[in-house]
Amino acid sequence: MVELSELEHDALVEIFNIGVGQAAAAMSGIVGEEVTMSVPSITFLSRMEAAQLLEDAHRRGGNGQPGGERICGVSQHYEGAFQTEAILMFPEDKSLEIVRLMVGESVPLAELSEMEQEAMSEIGNIILNSCVGTLANIFQHELHGSLPVYQVGSSDEILDATGSRAETVVMMLHIDFILEKHQIHGYVAFILDVTALHDLKEQIDRYLARAMGQH
Amino acid sequence: MTDRLQLLESVLEAVSVGAVVLDGDGRIVLWNRWMSRHSGCASHKAVGTDLFELMPELRGGRVQAAVTQALRNNFSSLLSQTLNRSPFPLYASPAAETRGERMQQAVAITPLTLADSGRHCLIQLTDVSMAAGREKLLREQTELLRMQTFSDGLTGIANRRAFDVAIDREVRRAKRSGSMVSLLMIDIDSFKPYNDHYGHQQGDQCLIQVSSALQALLQRSVDMLARYGGEEFAVILPDNDPQQALQIARTLHERIVRLALPHEYTCGPDKQITVSIGVATLAADRHGDVAALIGAADHALYAAKRQGRNRIVVAPPELL
Repeated sequence: MVELSELEHDALVEIFNIGVGQAAAAMSGIVGEEVTMSVPSITFLSRMEAAQLLEDAHRRGGNGQPGGERICGVSQHYEGAFQTEAILMFPEDKSLEIVRLMVGESVPLAELSEMEQEAMSEIGNIILNSCVGTLANIFQHELHGSLPVYQVGSSDEILDATGSRAETVVMMLHIDFILEKHQIHGYVAFILDVTALHDLKEQIDRYLARAMGQH
Repeated sequence: MTDRLQLLESVLEAVSVGAVVLDGDGRIVLWNRWMSRHSGCASHKAVGTDLFELMPELRGGRVQAAVTQALRNNFSSLLSQTLNRSPFPLYASPAAETRGERMQQAVAITPLTLADSGRHCLIQLTDVSMAAGREKLLREQTELLRMQTFSDGLTGIANRRAFDVAIDREVRRAKRSGSMVSLLMIDIDSFKPYNDHYGHQQGDQCLIQVSSALQALLQRSVDMLARYGGEEFAVILPDNDPQQALQIARTLHERIVRLALPHEYTCGPDKQITVSIGVATLAADRHGDVAALIGAADHALYAAKRQGRNRIVVAPPELL
């Protein structure tokens, strides 16, 4: 797997923090109160490790039996300079919490209703577009982004639903979402093939070279 | 080729989805029949104008941001009814327009890249009134069922579970709107000796009489009386400052005295049922949470008990 240097890693974390910062500002505008988001870390994982990470995180949350937890995912396909499937993921109960906090008070149903799923898709759409937008701007490349698709299932099902196969790498962003003092932890996975990952590393280096050159 | 174009055109006109295409400058190049019908603006008038001049209220909002995302960054956006509340001035019928009742809508904005004329964007609008209506009904039914599981079997007032939900909601609401919320904790004095001497059936009657007397005095629909535990009641008073809360506590206390339910075995001198009340207020500028508010009211109630019962104690603000 491709290794990122500490400098490259930090640059990437910084880029995504700009992205989620913009997403948080857009969401604050919608709900009329402060929403903050940050990306504390990024890890590169194989498809299997990514599924395992989600399962483990879920179990730490103390939800039910191992393997039985459901993840709620909002995915979008991006293509252009490189191709990637981006998926925002929260444990299902957290997605209920986010939508309810965003929408305000409402009667909690056991699952996200049709309208709430659409709201969740919009939240995912805002976050993913901001992340990829910042990345694209900094890399000076344009990507075409699809409409969001909402899914609920096991972490395996969510990661598989993108149709990507074994030869892929998952760039996993840990996301902290804070609204009304509720801190909710989620993930954004970018599913990249190995060439896309090499391209990404190259782009980061170019960006770093430009940034250094300015000094 | 012409046939195919004609076919596509008639499909576009026939679909029950709003379709609008904007060019790179935000000018309308396509406005289908669905749009004409629901916006009241005919296609020949719409085409050629700037969307944000035709519908100025869309300016500066999520729709404009999404159009910019599509035209500038090549990204698609989704605007849900739940988070956007009918951004386009569209109406199901002329009657709905007269009533000012907008169609509930879901909006999808996607970039279109045309080989000859550069980037455009497509706005698709769907009427989600049916789904929204269905969910409203579902929520109302759920709320009704919840109300039933949230009332106390004996007294008919809100139970502890309902209290927990309500106090959480009211504290959040107060913080959002920068207002305050007060809480009264009310306990019937010497209730154990009452039960021991008069029996549990009369004890139950006493609880019913006290709760209905208290309930009758709470006039605002936002105020909530709940049975907190055994012989303990709680009253949530949204938007009430400490003075108003104390005033209500006095009225409630007085009302129970006037009920004059005999109690031979009380420790008090009047040989009748009395209550002790703890009052606490979460002020807008305080950082206290639900637990702190309940803790302060509880603390005040126990102070009232310690000072000899049948009285009201207000929690000091620094407890919160």
